[in-house]
Amino acid sequence: MKKILLIFGLLAVLVPAYSQDQATLAALEMLALGEGSQAEILEELSDLGDPYIKTFIGGWRTGEVYSYTISDSETIVLLRVSEKFRRLSDNEIVDLAEDDSRLKKIRPARKLRKLLKTITDTIDLSSPDSKTRIDAALKLGLSQNTVYLEALQKKLQNEENEKVRLKFEEAINISLLANAEGPEALLSAIVRLGELKSLPSRDGITNIQNKAIEAEDEDLVTACTVAVGRIDRAQKTIERWGNLVRGLSTGSVLLMVAFGLAITFGLMGIINMAHGEFLAIGGYTCYVVQNIFANAFGVQSAAYQWFFWVSIPISFVVAGAIGFGLEKGMFRFLYKRPLESLLATWGLSMIMQQLFRLNFGAANVQVNTPDVLIGNLEVAGVALSYTRIFVIAFAGVVIVMTWLLLSKTNLGLYIRSVMQNRNMASSLGIPVSRVNSLTFAFGCGLAALAGAALSQIGNVGPSMGQTYIVDSFMVVVVGGVGNLLGAGISAMGIGAVDQFLQPYWGPVMGKIIVYFVIILFLQWKPGGLFPTKSRSMDD
Amino acid sequence: MKLVKKLTLGLSLVASAFSLQAEETVKVGVLHSLSGTMAISETSLRDILLFTFDEINANGGVMGKMIEPVVVDGASDWPTFAEKAEQLLAQDKVSATFGCWTSVSRKFVLPVYEKYNSLLFYPVQYEGEEMSPNIFYTAEAVNQQAIPAVDYLLEEGYKKFYLIGTDYVYPQTTNLVLFEYLQSKGIPIENIGGGLRKDADGEVISAGKYTPFSHSDYQQIVAEIKAFAASGDACVINTVNGDSNVSLFKEIAASGLTADDCPIVSYSLSEDEFRSLPTKDLVGHLGCWTYFQSLDTPANKEFVANFQEWLKTAPAGVQKEGRVTCSPMVLSYNGVYLWKAAVEKAGTFEPEAVIAALKSGISFDGPGGTVTSQENHHMTKNVYIGETLEDGQFEILESFENVYGEPFLKGTFMK
Repeated sequence: MKKILLIFGLLAVLVPAYSQDQATLAALEMLALGEGSQAEILEELSDLGDPYIKTFIGGWRTGEVYSYTISDSETIVLLRVSEKFRRLSDNEIVDLAEDDSRLKKIRPARKLRKLLKTITDTIDLSSPDSKTRIDAALKLGLSQNTVYLEALQKKLQNEENEKVRLKFEEAINISLLANAEGPEALLSAIVRLGELKSLPSRDGITNIQNKAIEAEDEDLVTACTVAVGRIDRAQKTIERWGNLVRGLSTGSVLLMVAFGLAITFGLMGIINMAHGEFLAIGGYTCYVVQNIFANAFGVQSAAYQWFFWVSIPISFVVAGAIGFGLEKGMFRFLYKRPLESLLATWGLSMIMQQLFRLNFGAANVQVNTPDVLIGNLEVAGVALSYTRIFVIAFAGVVIVMTWLLLSKTNLGLYIRSVMQNRNMASSLGIPVSRVNSLTFAFGCGLAALAGAALSQIGNVGPSMGQTYIVDSFMVVVVGGVGNLLGAGISAMGIGAVDQFLQPYWGPVMGKIIVYFVIILFLQWKPGGLFPTKSRSMDD
Repeated sequence: MKLVKKLTLGLSLVASAFSLQAEETVKVGVLHSLSGTMAISETSLRDILLFTFDEINANGGVMGKMIEPVVVDGASDWPTFAEKAEQLLAQDKVSATFGCWTSVSRKFVLPVYEKYNSLLFYPVQYEGEEMSPNIFYTAEAVNQQAIPAVDYLLEEGYKKFYLIGTDYVYPQTTNLVLFEYLQSKGIPIENIGGGLRKDADGEVISAGKYTPFSHSDYQQIVAEIKAFAASGDACVINTVNGDSNVSLFKEIAASGLTADDCPIVSYSLSEDEFRSLPTKDLVGHLGCWTYFQSLDTPANKEFVANFQEWLKTAPAGVQKEGRVTCSPMVLSYNGVYLWKAAVEKAGTFEPEAVIAALKSGISFDGPGGTVTSQENHHMTKNVYIGETLEDGQFEILESFENVYGEPFLKGTFMK
């Protein structure tokens, strides 16, 4: 250890301008090549605390670090930065071919990475980002290592952000569960953790509680019970809110997939078994647009990030056009023959699935998530990913637009009149066949919008539509065929019921219960939530 | 007259050539789903089997006879599997069959193979608790996949285990075995996540969280895992099958749980499945198989190169781009070679004699290391634990040499 320090000291004298940097780089080089004592280098690195260590470890982890054997006695470490190799120690570009046999990609072993993690966490304690600071503090606290306890206590004094201060305090108290000096300190740590409603400390506290029960330490047992009770109550509240939010999210997914069907089945009365495949068209459109963007701009470019937003309107247009064509060529012959439409659309669904297979292969394709949608938003312990938030917002926008179209435009008026009574509308001079085509195309376009949104949370593949077709029909029927508002309410209701049942009965049983409840509900109200009132003789 | 004689001679020569050719082939069955939901995985096994037959035929066949494959389609439909098995045995009279993926398809064909006293090689990791006299399981038994992976995680210092799977026989049985195993290793019940179901006598009949096939909403479960992992040292044992993994891993990635915080070890995801999964969300998570494509041995490199070479001239219908090799494929490959060795040892194609030869212990140096058949119809082989990389390959972290395949584990760990 002394020897290494001496060398570093010497380096510091030799190149004063880069002293800090050079010491870090030399230590990192030795670590990457597996030279010298690992434990000593790690200690050295953690003393240095240079933020560059984190950058290097990140690159090492993702395979950007190479070893390069110059001669038998000399091996150096290279970094690959935008297709060029740079020497770690002086950042000089080394001109090398990718397939040079002396070049070897190196990765840190899993065990080493774990050790490095605590070093990066210590560095993160000074990060400008408050969330990074919180995460790092909690991890260091959970390690219950006295060294980090001191570091945390020091950092707490300088921390100004109130939210981060609380988390630092939580981390310190978690660490104290193992390191408290004397029973009083332990007791106050437990009480404080209870007040902070700290979930990460729960396991630690129950452990202490179990030991205290054996040791018959009544004060400690009571303190633990109170703390655990507080944590559990807080957790219950978080769960309830979480269920509500997740129900909203599941509901909006259901609503998205069912909304197109609410138009084609609900308004037009076509039992469209191929509805799911129009979802898939949306998903595949995203995939195709993504590939075009990747080829045109490159995956790294800023323009590539726009692929998803561009593909949303495109998927609407593509599916709408296909829907328009199918209405002209197939569906218009089926308006009066619901049973045959069931069979014909089922066949259509199989043909479309096979076409996807032929064009894109049987395996699922991958649609990437744009950077802005990566990550999650956490409010008071309830986390929701940005992709889910996007789906909720998107569903809202689609509903409002559809409502505006149907109630505020001439086309909307035509659509409603044709759907109420085709013959009467026709006799009043409305171009019925064109309205039919446009309405069907619109429904298909909506389905593709849903498919595009789903590409962010699920998989895109030839049979993706099959996953959602049953749910779609369920939503429309429960909501009341022909009523868009009903579809909205039923989707949200089914979503919420599903999420509230899941924690108690699990996803399998939960789903069965949802179906069972729906059957009972339809026995009671066969027309759904909002049955269509009609004066027509046929109904 | 001379002409006639010549003609007859010629004809008889042709005839004998024909009969010679008929004698020189031996029929084997390939029974996989080439359509339906399982086709994604099983088509790869058909491909590797065709490759293996070509490789053996190019080197002189089995006991001088060329292998003639009879490929039938189980169509991801279990009764169809039984029907096709019957066809292979009664009509085509195959000497051995290589096939099946899901446990339920194996359960359906099992009585057929026992009825005809024939031979089936089963290549995919499974739950154990079975040992038919007519099936050889080149597959990973639970103690060659699930248990070594858990040992590794215990050694790494993980203390909390969350079990999640698809709701059918393989995940349910495997998790029950793991539930017993974890307890025997001193993990308290409250540290085994996912929930328990007990029967009327209070005996645990199901451990872990289960979702239906092609389930797509994992919000609730991921929230639960996040709370479970809040206090650190937690990991997830994943036996979810198929498409659902996309939704699961996307949800996990979005929730901010990283492989460093809470690694997921998946038993149903190999290199072949990664072709249709978001690998970037899987980086750092773990896998455990008896073969990885990244194995750095001359035998494996040669095998991978030969397979890629074969793909260039492969028959129509075989996908040629972006192919990888994975454990079920290599176990199919091993199965064919073990069968060949057993036939040569027995000196006959009769299934009964071949089974006896296999039971006596036959070794084959495969791409994943040496495999040896056992008395109990399973294989001794090497087990590897790997970490997923960005390119859908595994970096091997640890290997266990010559692990004995043990199908009956339930109830053996309890004190």
